Amino acid sequence: MIVKCAWMYHDIMDLYGDKGNIMTLTSRAKSRGIDFQVTTVGIGQEADLSDFDLVFMGGGADKEQVALIPDLLSRKDNIQKALDENTFFLLICGGYQLFGQYYETADKEKIEGLKFADYYTATGKAKSRCIGNIIIDAPLDGINLRLIGFENHGGQTMNVAHPLGKVVHGYGNSFDGGFDGGFEGYYDGHILGTYLHGPLLPKNGQLADFVLTKAIQKRNPEFTFDQLAPIDQPWEGIARKALLDRWKLEDRAEVHNN
Amino acid sequence: MSKLSILAAKTSFKLLSLVGRGGSMPGTIALKVDPNSLSKLHFRGPVILVTGTNGKTSTANMISSLFEKAGKKVVSNRKGDNLKAGITSALLQNTKGDGTVDADVVVLEVDELNVRHILPFIPVSVLVVNNFFRDQLDRAREMEQLIESIENVLPDFKGTLVLNGNDPNTVRLALKAPHAKAMYFGLDRTPYSFTESREASEGKFCPRCNTKLEYEYYQYSHIGKFHCPGCGFETPEFDVQLDQIDLNRQTFDYKGHRFQGPYEGMYSMYNYAAVLTVLEKYNLPLSAFEKMLKDAPHPAGRNERFKKGNKEVVLNLVKNPTGANEVMKVIERDGTKKAIVIVLNDHEQDGTDVSWIYDTQFEKFMNPQTSAVICSGTRAGDMALRMYYGNFQGDLSVESSIESAVNKALEKSDTVYVVATYTALLPSRKAIMKELNV
Repeated sequence: MIVKCAWMYHDIMDLYGDKGNIMTLTSRAKSRGIDFQVTTVGIGQEADLSDFDLVFMGGGADKEQVALIPDLLSRKDNIQKALDENTFFLLICGGYQLFGQYYETADKEKIEGLKFADYYTATGKAKSRCIGNIIIDAPLDGINLRLIGFENHGGQTMNVAHPLGKVVHGYGNSFDGGFDGGFEGYYDGHILGTYLHGPLLPKNGQLADFVLTKAIQKRNPEFTFDQLAPIDQPWEGIARKALLDRWKLEDRAEVHNN
Repeated sequence: MSKLSILAAKTSFKLLSLVGRGGSMPGTIALKVDPNSLSKLHFRGPVILVTGTNGKTSTANMISSLFEKAGKKVVSNRKGDNLKAGITSALLQNTKGDGTVDADVVVLEVDELNVRHILPFIPVSVLVVNNFFRDQLDRAREMEQLIESIENVLPDFKGTLVLNGNDPNTVRLALKAPHAKAMYFGLDRTPYSFTESREASEGKFCPRCNTKLEYEYYQYSHIGKFHCPGCGFETPEFDVQLDQIDLNRQTFDYKGHRFQGPYEGMYSMYNYAAVLTVLEKYNLPLSAFEKMLKDAPHPAGRNERFKKGNKEVVLNLVKNPTGANEVMKVIERDGTKKAIVIVLNDHEQDGTDVSWIYDTQFEKFMNPQTSAVICSGTRAGDMALRMYYGNFQGDLSVESSIESAVNKALEKSDTVYVVATYTALLPSRKAIMKELNV
């Protein structure tokens, strides 16, 4: 089996070790005998995104992010076509923000987004940058996952109709959402956007498998998450435990009433 | 008022040194008594500031030593910290009753985010800037804001900028300093240069017009010969250029002389070039530079070697992907059989975000010569995952104690490399000395 992945702006949007996500997907696909083919798509590079099963975009610094906006907006119709044809989108940080209505840079410049979702990202007030380890519980098409990552964002993402998960520890989409009421990220079945890096996937192997499943389903709609054989390695458990223990948390998602 | 603050600091310094403290405390007290303490000081010679992400400590120390070898009395913050209070302490300790700093030359290493608190308040003659890399982003925010904080204090600066001409992020500072003179140092193409960047890179876009920069070649990370196709912003002509770089012998040529330095890696060549630019600016003799190199102390945790019989352990500090990549290159160049211990902590001083390990090319040592990798530290599991997803084929393990990690590595191989983050450095050194019994 083959999974085709487009890695958008890999040379610009790579602020927080995002290449670890691609390494994880490649490795976990290979363990199951799946050929995970990565094509990088940079500024000005022609590509039909609807031809891919998965599109990945990471985060960048403000200045670098602004430079790719015209190129990204010029691909809007093609991205719509890809979404219509069930290409799955995994977006981290800046990539997540750019798929919403707009986002404001640190110096209050308003940057138009692709508007594929209703959410928007405002500049936070001074001292409201969300930095630190974050743990969320995400219900994904009936699969409940406890996700662990690191967040570092000044932007406050508001009006998120379908968050990815409930914050167990950390901030989430906005500083004021706070500890208890907070939600993180966005998920609508086609687009998964999140502020979690760390990078996201190495410590969240099941999420990596979920993303692989969504990508495989483009060409094989009957494929299910359970068909991916478990991977036996102790390292993920050790890495997760080190963080979960700090807040006396179990390695098991709780079901929240979102 | 100024006399009072100087007096307060000097008194507190005396009291604190009696009880075995000191550090930045006297400066903190002085700044409490008079927040403008710094601007009340007088200087009888040049004031040189050194900043940048990597190499500012060794560069500042070499510049201090260079002037000392040339017979000058130097005051520096070598023993203190590089923030405003530590710098104030270092100056006040050497200030006479009339407010004059008792030195022919003042050399200060300054944290990047503290340049704005120092440069406008004392008569700075030279600002040396080595480079800008992403460094513990959770602490320093994004690098762009950091550079802007320095640019904002440059419009009135009338001294000399000594800049790395191969780093677009340092060259851009000259654009914001209309009254300053700029001197550039750099390296021409070397046998180690490459044309495709494979490392985490900053400065991808022109600071003047935001067009994507083109590189003729890279020396390491984003350091190299760049050119903007949009507006012509490019690597300037160098005032100081090193030639005949040999990283194995750690030698280079300047003005027909061959020098051997104590520090490894391409980044050290840039530090030497920065020091030589200061030498040119003040017309100091090359003999002073040579003496400085000969007497330079080997810094802790920079290829620090421990030997016992046929066993050798090499200890390295890593604090960001660029520095770590240079360490990986050093390990890669050593072709002997080895085991590697990596101690990854995530305390405040290490940086609480460990994602940088995916921007570091640990793959460089993933070859048959590396028989084992042993991970330790508060985030050992993350490090092991990095090795696993990097497809390391050797023996991978996690040890909760650094001592048992070093012990296990020595059992597996005669040559051991220990790579440690900031807070893991001293515990690692202790563990090495205990296990080697040296």
